[in-house]
Amino acid sequence: MNEESLPLPEFTKVKYRTWQLDQMNPSQAQSATSHFLTDELGIEVSGTATSYYYLPKYLVAQGVLLTNINTAQSRYPQQLDKLLGQVIANNTDRLTAQNAQKFNTGILLYVPDHTVIKDVIHLNLNQLSVGGNDYIARVLVYVGRQSSVTILQSAHTIGSDTTKVSLVVEVIADVGASVHYANLDAFSGKTTAYIHREADIRDHATLDWSNVAFNDGQVVTKLVSHLNGEGAVSHANIMAMTHHKQTQGFMTNMVNRGRHSLGHIYQRGVILNHSTLVFNGIGQIIKGAKGSDAQQESRVLMLSRRARGDANPLLLIDENDVTAGHAASVGRVDENQMYYLMSRGLSEKLARELVIRGFMGNVLAEIPTNRAQQAVINAIAEKLKNEN
Amino acid sequence: MTTLQIKNLHVAVSGKEILKGVNLTVHTGEMHAIMGPNGTGKSTLSQAIMGHPAYQVTSGSITLDGQDLSEMAVDERARAGLFLAMQYPSEIQGVTNAEFMRAAINARRPESDQMSIMTFLKTLDRQREFLSMTSEMAERYLNEGFSGGEKKRNEILQMMMIQPKIAILDEIDSGLDIDALKVVSRGVNHMRSDNFGTLMITHYQRLLDYIVPDFVHVMMGGKIVKTGTADLAKKLELEGYAGLRDELGLDIVLTDEDADRLVAVKHE
Repeated sequence: MNEESLPLPEFTKVKYRTWQLDQMNPSQAQSATSHFLTDELGIEVSGTATSYYYLPKYLVAQGVLLTNINTAQSRYPQQLDKLLGQVIANNTDRLTAQNAQKFNTGILLYVPDHTVIKDVIHLNLNQLSVGGNDYIARVLVYVGRQSSVTILQSAHTIGSDTTKVSLVVEVIADVGASVHYANLDAFSGKTTAYIHREADIRDHATLDWSNVAFNDGQVVTKLVSHLNGEGAVSHANIMAMTHHKQTQGFMTNMVNRGRHSLGHIYQRGVILNHSTLVFNGIGQIIKGAKGSDAQQESRVLMLSRRARGDANPLLLIDENDVTAGHAASVGRVDENQMYYLMSRGLSEKLARELVIRGFMGNVLAEIPTNRAQQAVINAIAEKLKNEN
Repeated sequence: MTTLQIKNLHVAVSGKEILKGVNLTVHTGEMHAIMGPNGTGKSTLSQAIMGHPAYQVTSGSITLDGQDLSEMAVDERARAGLFLAMQYPSEIQGVTNAEFMRAAINARRPESDQMSIMTFLKTLDRQREFLSMTSEMAERYLNEGFSGGEKKRNEILQMMMIQPKIAILDEIDSGLDIDALKVVSRGVNHMRSDNFGTLMITHYQRLLDYIVPDFVHVMMGGKIVKTGTADLAKKLELEGYAGLRDELGLDIVLTDEDADRLVAVKHE
């Protein structure tokens, strides 16, 4: 396959061609030091090496696989083949093709049929930004029939070189599965990133995304739910905050193919300083997906006159017997909420922080652990500190 | 003693004059009630005192212990001792009730003397039980999904936690059933002391059966037209606002005049 001949993926109203995301060289850097996990169930991969690992014996006994993707290639080729390139075809576009060819790190999570996991599974990816090379990672998740999991996937940068990231995530929610995939993307200001997550959701399965985009650099994020099965359900809840001069652009797509499938997009963004935030939402109903539902709501809060924000909803409907709707707005801080909080003695600064947190509250409330919620709350406060 | 003094206050909302010369003095230790027909400027008065940006003071003054409020931001007024229990409290998701109230208390204390979580929770539990509120409300998001009655209780709970010097209660009785009204009144009466003053705004005399005021003021046409004791409220209940207007010989058109007359007739 000649990846050069493929087009770049479409991110409407985001000018990212000059970012040169199609010219990456995978970094071989690795670290054995755990940075973010101490006693949680899960895995941390720093560079190309596993730096933390804990999977309880009872889950091993049930057949749950959780490994560094490099280990998976030698030890679990069968499970790997079931996933790799199955949700996102390698020739989708130039950036996915590059990822497929060059990824040299990542995680495989395989949950067999009829397995209910109550504890949150942590998947941590640390980009080691040293030596100038880029971070190219692939995450594969399979959740078997009637199984249920909650995943908290975090991505951070360690180091201060100017580099790039390509992160591609494929998820399969098999028949009747229930998956909550929460991610906290926090790459540094010197990292330019392409993040792409896509899921195949089968009959009566549910996949809910809680996508927190708190990166500091230039980022395009693509998120797609393929509602392939009858009664498949997916909610994509996204919160993003941009500051300084960064741009974050989103392309969030729900494809209703199964009958009575439901795809809801809910995006909330806060824009500070000179930054740009673009939300594109596409609800697509394929002919034959009778009784399906496509809804989207995107709201952007502009906190600076020099900021730029866009919310572009699009509905593509090829079937009559459906329900669909969209709402989008670009606005400013709610003055009544500010007044209410300040009337209790809170300073303007604190009131603003709380109002902004409230604006993204729906997504925040669904982040699966208190610790991760607190990390997001702190990140909001941190970004507001440097306002204007 | 703390004194809230309002002198010849004129207030406009989007260019339209609503208050046309209000004079009123509230000391700590006193309970004042302001009554009046719809659209007469009662809520405008409360918002102007607290400093809502949409309400412009065009002339006159509001001072707290001699300090001019027009030079103070909303949060400064609050920290100086004012509190406004609002008719329509905002809902804020992602911020818990407990976190919000603790932030409000700590905003009044120096950095070096912030109230600890333990002390705060003990106080909160005590006040919450006093208002017959469930323990889960502390971890619920601020007013989010609260019923009308729960919101009003929550306003009173905040007042009890913050312990202001002077509280303005803007139609704290509206939308409450009799049981909720009793609970809310219990909270206000509990606050009654030499260090606490109240300005209650209400349409109905009913609230004043539970919270007996020292002074009753009647507002009409953007002014206080009569001041008396609790008996004045009872008289109004019998005669209606139109009756008082005619007695005082005022040239004011009341918004709901016909309704008021009907009420007055019924009582006769």
